[in-house]
Amino acid sequence: MTRDGTYARAAAGAATAVLVVGGFALGRHVGNLHNGLIAASFTAVGLFVLRRSPRNPEGRLFVATGVAHAVMFAGRQYGLHPGPLPGASWVGWCGVWPLPVVLVLIGVTVMGFPDGRLPSRAWRPVVAALAVVGVVLSGVSALWPVEYARTGLIAAHPLHLPGAAAAEAFYAAARPVGYLLFQLTWAACVVVRLRTARGDEARQLRWFVYAVTVSAAVMVAGLLVWRSPIPGALTTPLIAAAAGAAILKYRLYDIDPVINRSLVFGAMAAVVTAGYAVMVTGVGRLVDGHGTLLSLVATGVVAVAFEPLRRRVQRVADRLVYGRRSTPYEALARLSAHLTAPAGGLLDGICTTVADAVGAREVTLWTGPPDSLRAVAIWPASSPLPASARPLSSLVAVPVRHDGGFRGALTVTKAPGDPLSPAEQRLVGDLAAQAGLVLQLRATAQRLVAAGDAARRRLERDLHDGAQQRLVTVAMELGAVVRSATDAGAADVAAQASSVRARLLEATAELREMARGLHPAVLTQDGLEAAIGFLADRSPVPVRLTVSIGRRLPAEAEATAYFVISEGLTNAAKHAAATVVSVSVSLTGHRLVVQVADDGCGGAEVRPGSGLEGLMDRLAIIDARLTIDSGPSGTRLRTVIPCG
Amino acid sequence: MLADDGVLFREGMARILADAGCTVTGQAGDGAALLAQVRADPPDVAVIDLRMPPGFTAEGIETAAAIRGCAPRVGLMLLSQYVEVHHALRLITEFDGGVGYLLKDRVSDLTAFAVDLRRVAAGDTVIDPELVARLVARRRERDPLDALTERERAVLALMAQGLSNAAVAADLHLAVKTVEAHVTSIFTKLGLVQHEREHRRVLAVLTFLRA
Repeated sequence: MTRDGTYARAAAGAATAVLVVGGFALGRHVGNLHNGLIAASFTAVGLFVLRRSPRNPEGRLFVATGVAHAVMFAGRQYGLHPGPLPGASWVGWCGVWPLPVVLVLIGVTVMGFPDGRLPSRAWRPVVAALAVVGVVLSGVSALWPVEYARTGLIAAHPLHLPGAAAAEAFYAAARPVGYLLFQLTWAACVVVRLRTARGDEARQLRWFVYAVTVSAAVMVAGLLVWRSPIPGALTTPLIAAAAGAAILKYRLYDIDPVINRSLVFGAMAAVVTAGYAVMVTGVGRLVDGHGTLLSLVATGVVAVAFEPLRRRVQRVADRLVYGRRSTPYEALARLSAHLTAPAGGLLDGICTTVADAVGAREVTLWTGPPDSLRAVAIWPASSPLPASARPLSSLVAVPVRHDGGFRGALTVTKAPGDPLSPAEQRLVGDLAAQAGLVLQLRATAQRLVAAGDAARRRLERDLHDGAQQRLVTVAMELGAVVRSATDAGAADVAAQASSVRARLLEATAELREMARGLHPAVLTQDGLEAAIGFLADRSPVPVRLTVSIGRRLPAEAEATAYFVISEGLTNAAKHAAATVVSVSVSLTGHRLVVQVADDGCGGAEVRPGSGLEGLMDRLAIIDARLTIDSGPSGTRLRTVIPCG
Repeated sequence: MLADDGVLFREGMARILADAGCTVTGQAGDGAALLAQVRADPPDVAVIDLRMPPGFTAEGIETAAAIRGCAPRVGLMLLSQYVEVHHALRLITEFDGGVGYLLKDRVSDLTAFAVDLRRVAAGDTVIDPELVARLVARRRERDPLDALTERERAVLALMAQGLSNAAVAADLHLAVKTVEAHVTSIFTKLGLVQHEREHRRVLAVLTFLRA
């Protein structure tokens, strides 16, 4: 902070204070009130901003606007004082002619909000054009008394130049055009900023626009109800205060909910008032003398219409304020809907909800222990799922917890320069808490299925090494009995032993099939391709195979794909009377696409306790879904199994 | 020489093989032990369990490959509780004859098993009839096997098990000339190239059946 800067600010503050206080001391004039308030509030806020950040261009613009208004305010107040006071002609003149130039200054202040710079270089010529218009209008106003009729100054214009009539005509035509141009330019500039702004700047702008809107609303209400601009004028400092708060981001709360409530409240107040007025005054004129009854009817109508109307207005307000983002309540409601009736993967649903809630570009859900997190779902679905495991410390993530335990994490990527606001962070935290239970249940179910698979594998191995081995050994020994009986000439004993051996071998064959059904050894030993070949070899319906996998996959993914295909082939043979089944299995990235389609009679549906229901349960826990298309032209089972 | 981690089965087999006129020169509980014994004293045939310690997957094939590497004249007979087509194809592709692949059940028919062992020792190929039956019974959309006569199918099945024309003839009680005619007809109908050696013929037929 330089001393010069300090002095300059002190001088500006002192001058404004003297001019405003002096101006108010000279009398009360409604038409000047807003000038005084703008002078005081803009200078004060501008100086406060400059004290906090001395080189802030917007702060300087605020001070300039405030000081200019102070000069105009004092000049007009002086010129309006009855008397007239000494030199009122020239002093009052100072309060009139700068108006167009000061309007341009206000325009630049508004267009520069919140950082004091124009949105882009393209706006410079526009501002230059505005300045030219302002200077021309001010020039005319300085030379001829073209603005005096509106200000009501007692002291006359100090100059008496010829051509007053022509100047009057020009000013009368040019002033409305110029002012309209000013207003359109500011409005366009603010709208452009609002549309492109992200993060803090968007929040700053919303504060400002909110204050302007409230002020304008009070102005309109004041004019309508009290036929006075005073209430509106009194709210002008609000704009300066809101703007200053926004510039300094001083406790910059999320203003969205406030705007939202104000919109709903304002709209409903207007609707109720209008409804009541129309009923009581409008209808009242038609049926005279039933005032009380009409009031009651009006109250009833308004009461009945209130809630449905409020809901509609609320929806419109939501769309205006939050745009594509959903409200926190909506986000939680949508997540609940996803959890009760998942459309697509459950985990994808969580990511989509989070993305909608905060307007994110990308949302990833990770699960696993903190030192090795794996991405399990991502939004948008077109983004590639990060393949490698990462430690939590390497991610800027919101942890997902449940029941005190770490279950995973959510990472949210927003547009550059648009960080998560505290409110959004809280919302993501709330959504993560909901996701925690889902991840916990999913992990439990996965462990159960894995345990079930392991138990079946163990049982198969026990059969293989135990009962099957023993039976085969016994059959072998019976074979020896057959041989020695034959050698000994005991033909009937040999025949009997041979028949027992044959039945024993039938039993071992049966046992072999059972063990295979429990868990096919070929799947564990040789992988999915070999196991699918085995299924196809044994299918009673011809199978058309298209398999491209190329590598071993995680055991649960292989087992799941195997059971899907096995179920599809069994259904085709048992129920569909199909003549051919095509099985296609392909691995693309980390997704295994499995499809079994037959040309049978269809009619496949998920019945409680059926194989298809079991498959769906099994798929659900690895966040895969089974789609079943079954009609007269055949049945198609399809699923996409994620495999890391 | 025998290798199987099931002691009861191994001991039982050793006893009946002795009855069938074979000499069991050694027994082992896993592939590594068998390999050491084969190196020390190469037998005519090594009977190997497919699924053995340590991994209980297809260690038998690895052991067989190792034996073929150090003692190429030893016949290799693999036994298993299950017979899988891809294992059979691997055995035929990687080994140029002198291999067998049978269900353990087959051991109980001692006479037939002894014959199969001698064939393997002689450099022939032996494939389990169940596996071949499964492939022949396999349903296809446009089944090329439909073009074959009943008799030709029977010949095809025996060919796929590794039997020579003479053995097929004996099995089906036909003249060798008749079998040769059937074989030529089968190969023409299926569009396969004829092979002189039985081993190559098994490979061709199994590959065809699997396709």
